[in-house]
Amino acid sequence: MELKELKDKVKEIQSELKEKEIKEKNASPLGIAMKMGTEFVAAVFVASFIGFYVDKWLETTPVFIIIFFIIGSVAGIFNVVRSSKMINKD
Amino acid sequence: MANPMNQFEVKTIGPKIEIGNFDISFSNASLFMVITVATISLLFIFATQKKSLVPSRLQLLAEMAYEFVAKMISETAGSKARPYFPFILTLFLFVLFCNMIGMIPYSFTVTSHIIVTFALAIFIFIGVTIIGFVKHGFGYLKLFVPSGVPVVLLPIIVVIEVISYLSRPVSLSVRLFANMMAGHTMMKVFGGFVISLGLVGGWLPLGFSVALTGLEILVAFLQAYVFAILTCIYLNDALNLHH
Repeated sequence: MELKELKDKVKEIQSELKEKEIKEKNASPLGIAMKMGTEFVAAVFVASFIGFYVDKWLETTPVFIIIFFIIGSVAGIFNVVRSSKMINKD
Repeated sequence: MANPMNQFEVKTIGPKIEIGNFDISFSNASLFMVITVATISLLFIFATQKKSLVPSRLQLLAEMAYEFVAKMISETAGSKARPYFPFILTLFLFVLFCNMIGMIPYSFTVTSHIIVTFALAIFIFIGVTIIGFVKHGFGYLKLFVPSGVPVVLLPIIVVIEVISYLSRPVSLSVRLFANMMAGHTMMKVFGGFVISLGLVGGWLPLGFSVALTGLEILVAFLQAYVFAILTCIYLNDALNLHH
């Protein structure tokens, strides 16, 4: 009898802890905003970098840097959408 | 008032050593990395020395760190990521202790330098890519081809996916570096306000400084956690290919 009561108590506490954990995961909107920001900027940065060097190599400045800048922006939006999906899944 | 960026200056300690064009002299950054590694090693050696069934405080700390990382890996990357546990634990503890040791006044924050975080991130990036190719062969390239995309759009989508993949080390490293540098600069600026406003008006920025210190400790932990968990997520992509 006592053991069963103890078991119920443990279960109760565990479920409470889980709820708390979920709340804590969503507790930092600033962190999420920061994450999205860097993810977007990183894609644009990398793409522009590639565009710049392709231009330098083919001597076609500024064709590829413009193309890659646009592609990078799209990739950045992809990144942001993907990470927001991941947050929703949690 | 001292320049708030002075704290990030790398200074050489001891003799200048050069190999070829590379300056490899021992700096304060290297010193604090050595301190970090030594602290972690000593902590774990002492904590696991007794191995009692009812753990002491120190042993509990080591066990908690172990379990925390083990849980994080199994939740995000599944059982296949088990062999990489030592790497993730080391990475998490290194970043965490670099951040936390940086919180001690007059110390140096190694992770507030982009080159340190970028070196970590590019190592993870190359490692994960190699693991992906070893496990799946050229099938790993499927990662760049999402299912259900019309053939017309495929060339654009593949380029976008490749850039998105290449941007991972940049976003991973910039996030840690920017958080650490911004936090430490802000604390220094508020500390400077306390001095320049003196006894009359210095109390308000002093309060802010105390609050910011608390926030910074939270950020130091959170960023180490984020760094480790993102590594797990990237590892998950390489191990369990699904798109």
